[in-house]
Amino acid sequence: MKRLVAAAVLSTISLPVPLDAQRGGRGGPPAPAAPRSAAPVDLTGQWVSLITEEWRQRQFTGAKGDFGSLNVVLLPPARKMAASWDPARDAAAGEQCKAYGAAGVMRLPTRLRVSWQDDAALRLETDAGTQTRLFTFGPPQGEGGDWQGLSTASWDYPRAALAGRGFGAAPGGSLKVITTKMKPGYLSRNGVPYSGNAVMTEFFDRFDVPGGDSLLVVTSEIVDPEYLATPYWTSQQFKRETDASRWRPTPCAAR
Amino acid sequence: MRSARGVKVWLGAALAALGTTLAGQAPVIPGAPTGQAPAVDLSGYWSPALHEDLMERGPGAEIADYGGFPLNEAGRLWALSYDPSRVTLRHHQCEAYVTPYQMRALGNFRIWEERDPHTQRLTAIHLWAQTTEGHRVIWMDGRPHPPAWAPHTFRGFSTGRFVGNALVVSTTHMKNGALRRGNGAPQSDQAALTEFFTRHGDHLTNVTVVSDPVYLTEPMVRSSDFARQPVDPGAWLYACDDGEQILDRPDDAVPHYLFGKQPFVNEFSARYKIPLAAGLLGAVTMYPELEARLGTSTEAEGRALLSPAAGRAPETSKASDREPRDGNIHVLPVRDNVYMLVGDGANIVVQTGDQGAFVVDTGEGKLADKVIAAIRSLTTKPIQFIANTSFRGEHTGGNARLGDAGQDPSLLGSFFVTAAPRGVTGFFSDPAAHATMMAHVNVQVRMQAANAPAAAVPADTYLEDRRRKFHNGEAIEFFYQKNAVTDGDSLIHFRRADVIVAGDIFTTTQYPVIDLKNGGSVQGEIRALNEILKKTVYRHQGEEGTYVVPGHGYLADEHEVVEYRDMVVIVRDRVKAMIDAGATLAQVKAARLTADYDTQYGANTGPWTTEMFVEAVYNSLKNAR
Repeated sequence: MKRLVAAAVLSTISLPVPLDAQRGGRGGPPAPAAPRSAAPVDLTGQWVSLITEEWRQRQFTGAKGDFGSLNVVLLPPARKMAASWDPARDAAAGEQCKAYGAAGVMRLPTRLRVSWQDDAALRLETDAGTQTRLFTFGPPQGEGGDWQGLSTASWDYPRAALAGRGFGAAPGGSLKVITTKMKPGYLSRNGVPYSGNAVMTEFFDRFDVPGGDSLLVVTSEIVDPEYLATPYWTSQQFKRETDASRWRPTPCAAR
Repeated sequence: MRSARGVKVWLGAALAALGTTLAGQAPVIPGAPTGQAPAVDLSGYWSPALHEDLMERGPGAEIADYGGFPLNEAGRLWALSYDPSRVTLRHHQCEAYVTPYQMRALGNFRIWEERDPHTQRLTAIHLWAQTTEGHRVIWMDGRPHPPAWAPHTFRGFSTGRFVGNALVVSTTHMKNGALRRGNGAPQSDQAALTEFFTRHGDHLTNVTVVSDPVYLTEPMVRSSDFARQPVDPGAWLYACDDGEQILDRPDDAVPHYLFGKQPFVNEFSARYKIPLAAGLLGAVTMYPELEARLGTSTEAEGRALLSPAAGRAPETSKASDREPRDGNIHVLPVRDNVYMLVGDGANIVVQTGDQGAFVVDTGEGKLADKVIAAIRSLTTKPIQFIANTSFRGEHTGGNARLGDAGQDPSLLGSFFVTAAPRGVTGFFSDPAAHATMMAHVNVQVRMQAANAPAAAVPADTYLEDRRRKFHNGEAIEFFYQKNAVTDGDSLIHFRRADVIVAGDIFTTTQYPVIDLKNGGSVQGEIRALNEILKKTVYRHQGEEGTYVVPGHGYLADEHEVVEYRDMVVIVRDRVKAMIDAGATLAQVKAARLTADYDTQYGANTGPWTTEMFVEAVYNSLKNAR
């Protein structure tokens, strides 16, 4: 047994290769593991939003110009655009889903269903507005330009935080999603805009709480030089649900 | 042969020492508890990203905006009764934030690690919050949480471990405080907090999950975002000294609103054109179902939520039992040579030193032998003095046994024993074999009237406001509290250790047992609580400093006393308002005037129920007329 252990130690010294790169098997260049099988965390299931922050603005459609905490990040063009918000006009133009784009929908009161579309893509559906986001591992598929844009996914291991500390990466990790090419939409239902050049980076983390609940926390950063003075940082929490009957798809509403 | 587990530990240690990177495998540090491998480095300077709840975190939350909070009826009513001008009271001015709110507060954070210098094992993670100088210590060394009778602080007691890519922190022993700043949404001292810290580059996320059986129907989850700062932002201090803000205010005046009388309750709903009930419905306000729920809401429903629901029995305490009830005596060091003994009825206090033990109260007496053994574990000197804060059996039940176990050598050879007339020496019968017992004279009178054994009755009594004693190098003062919970209550102050023994004037477990038949009164109780507050000095941000030992419950400081004082004053005011309006006792009881405190202190069975307390307040006020 001692010899076996020593051999294992020596092999790691001579081959300082991350274990996840070795998962392809023996011989030849290692084949990357399928994202689904490499998942460090299970995000699938039904989740319900917990609207405990920015509550009034998220549960109710604010009045025109009522920006809440968004006040601190908006550039003048965003204020001007929001001042012209007209939900009736949006509805008449068939644009009632402007608040349900990727950069807005995660902040709405909604339920999420997360599932694997295939081994390389996660699907996230919302019952509010009946939207679907697709998180593709590897090259993005499609052209974007719709409400949900193009989302590129990767697993984010906590290794970066450990650089230089002499420790290997810990188990667990996050889903990292970068979304671009979104059709211009609203950050909040009262017409605070984001542009088609906005880039949203999200980290999906799952936490198991003593007592049995599981939480999905989505930490997001939205960068939009056209409308935002600084990156817009928020985090949204969702609680895991086992009662699928609570899923109630509803169409987009302009207000 | 080495066991498989042993090999795994050995291998992990070797790999960690060699600095190899094995993604997906946690290194094992020799001897480290499971989960101790650092998964995230939080060290550095962090500034909150105020992109959520800016108004609340800056100017303050609006009255009656409790949406997104799973408050139960008690929590909602507590908040609606709250008057923000309460912070003008001296003892509330410098209070720190409880940890869940501290993580939402303005101001920068500094986080650093504490490591054992010899092993480099992570011992603790420290967080310093600029606002309120909030210093948190998250213990990473596997130590247990303190017992239920240990003191609470605004930060609480935190332990952490790494799970996956997160630091998971468990916090207990927090004081009661604000779950939301400025509009009264409360958090009780029974709250438990679980936190998850994750870091994605320079973006730190802190998720707080508050479970509070007293004020919440389900856990309250919030997340806060922080940006890493490359340089020290400075300005880490937050000095606060209390002072006079409103002169000539009576010390039994506590700003609050009677149920249903909060004058600003409509402002929030009117300003934003949302139903009054929207901010008051508790847990449903967190969920997508709120819109449908409000579809059936009426103005009348909103109005009804401003007062206790009618026709219901009082809620009972949801607090955990603070007494061990395991048949053992537990010793809690308080400060210097002063200890609190828990386990036999009312709390017992022991001061030790060269002269012999000075004991305050003796418990029920059921575990007297174990109490004596516990005292002997603290000192080899005899029990010389026993003081009683009250005549009640929970405080005097062990008098005879502890008295017999002690002796008062100060009497040996004195005039009183050797040369005084027989009548005097008889008064100090066999002093070498007994401790001297002290109390207010009314304790003696009440115990004699109850035919207590002579050996259990204090013989060394005082009649007026104050009794002094210098013992074991420390000044000890007795302060008589006339007509508080009885007519024989004493506060006993160890001045060097700065510990006040409050007896049943103050507990953390129940409403005050105001015993009208034995001379108690609600006004006297309020007066006595204020007497404690006149003697306390906090160390920092409204906590610690003078310790206060309650008759029952956990070791406290002035914060718990002032909250208890506020409660008694507020209940008194509510009862008085109904009496002034001509209400009968039955009507007062039916009004559920303690509904916001019942989940903390209430009882519907046992020797002291909520109804008995309300009746005592009612009759005390009626008889005072």
